[in-house]
Amino acid sequence: MCLGIPAKVVQIDKSNFGKVDYLGTRVKTNFELLDNLKVGDWVIVHAGFAISKLDEEEARETFSVLREMAEQEALANKNKEREKQSNKQKG
Amino acid sequence: MKELRDKRVIRGLLSEIEKRTRELPSSPRIMEVCGTHTMTVHRYGLKNMLEKVGVEMVSGPGCPVCITPNEIHEAAIELVTENENFILTTFGDMTRVPTRKSSLQKAVPAAGSMVKIVYSPRESLEIAGSSPEKQVVFFGVGFETTIPAIALTLREAIEKRLANFSILSALWIIPPPLKAIVKAKEIALDGFLYPGHVSAIIGEKPYQFIAKEYGIPGAITGFEPSDILLGIFSILNQIKDGNPTVSNEYSRVVRASGNPKALAVMEEMLETKDSYWRGLGLIPQSGLKIKKKYSAYDAEIRFNLRIKGGSGDLPGCRCGEVLQGLISPPQCPLFVEKCNPDSPYGPCMVSFEGACFVYYKYNPIIKNKL
Repeated sequence: MCLGIPAKVVQIDKSNFGKVDYLGTRVKTNFELLDNLKVGDWVIVHAGFAISKLDEEEARETFSVLREMAEQEALANKNKEREKQSNKQKG
Repeated sequence: MKELRDKRVIRGLLSEIEKRTRELPSSPRIMEVCGTHTMTVHRYGLKNMLEKVGVEMVSGPGCPVCITPNEIHEAAIELVTENENFILTTFGDMTRVPTRKSSLQKAVPAAGSMVKIVYSPRESLEIAGSSPEKQVVFFGVGFETTIPAIALTLREAIEKRLANFSILSALWIIPPPLKAIVKAKEIALDGFLYPGHVSAIIGEKPYQFIAKEYGIPGAITGFEPSDILLGIFSILNQIKDGNPTVSNEYSRVVRASGNPKALAVMEEMLETKDSYWRGLGLIPQSGLKIKKKYSAYDAEIRFNLRIKGGSGDLPGCRCGEVLQGLISPPQCPLFVEKCNPDSPYGPCMVSFEGACFVYYKYNPIIKNKL
């Protein structure tokens, strides 16, 4: 059961506890497994415990790879369309 | 974040995947280990899309409800049916697994006893604190994603000297069953999608033997549709380059060395044991149990439970074979007619991440058979 939800840290108390915002609901969460957490960080929460912090830089890199894939595909489709059109004209 | 589900991204990734599979002699067979991955693969129709571009997906043993054998469930049920003033706290899915002693959900508790569903292991501590006259046993089941939470809860119970609290544990480690599956060679696999959140805890190292010793590529993968395809794409590149490794395709969440604090608390409170897995049998060093010095909080020891490994399987249930990727759910004769979400026979149909439940839910053709 790998279910872990991404949520934003909105409150950090002294006692290793705090709250995250998950889709508008503030949920009590234990932060003991993470270091140097700040309000505004995004974490993965599982069974009431934050188990990992989201790395923004890595996330940006991943999304740019995905965008590239989408653009390549769009380009390939455009070229296919152009070929079709020019074949029609020739025919 | 919307890129993760964008149709154009998915199409782009599928194109790239198809370019790779065209160069291979046969369809690569990839095992998604984690139940949550199985759910994503079916829910977004990825299984069929991938088949069309030449990739075969097979489900693995990463569903803790599914692989916890019946004899452990029966021990939990007995605790609450044969003892008065017991509260058994548990995650929801576990309550519906049928055994020879019924299920946690349907069994009739003894006087003053009850089963309580919790979202977090910590809730069990609160219950124990506010009900000192009851024995509170937390049925702690999970893989490495959940184990640190359970270990922290145990530590807190000990610090607070909660004498009426204990844990009945069914803790499982992911790498050993993968080793067993690869060694058994009953199924030929060309790659593994490694579970994203287990990996957030354990990092990359524990999987490296699969690449180094068995030459099988793998990718640590997230849970959105694009994540799954990125993982598969990485595996195909590893095959193309002849370079099996463990690649991290979920780097926004997973660090190469995992979560050191989580690993430390697991090391502090727990130790490895040989465990019986449904279907896979006894696997050495594949489970965790509470360390001897903390055994006062181990329900198995406190209540002298005799749990005989491998004794509880229900006849005819083929969940064990599904968990090893040997058969797909429709190949089980009980599927749909005798085993379905309304009346499940085995745990693979009970758990929301069980392969049989996922197959049933996301394949309308099968339901129309009824």
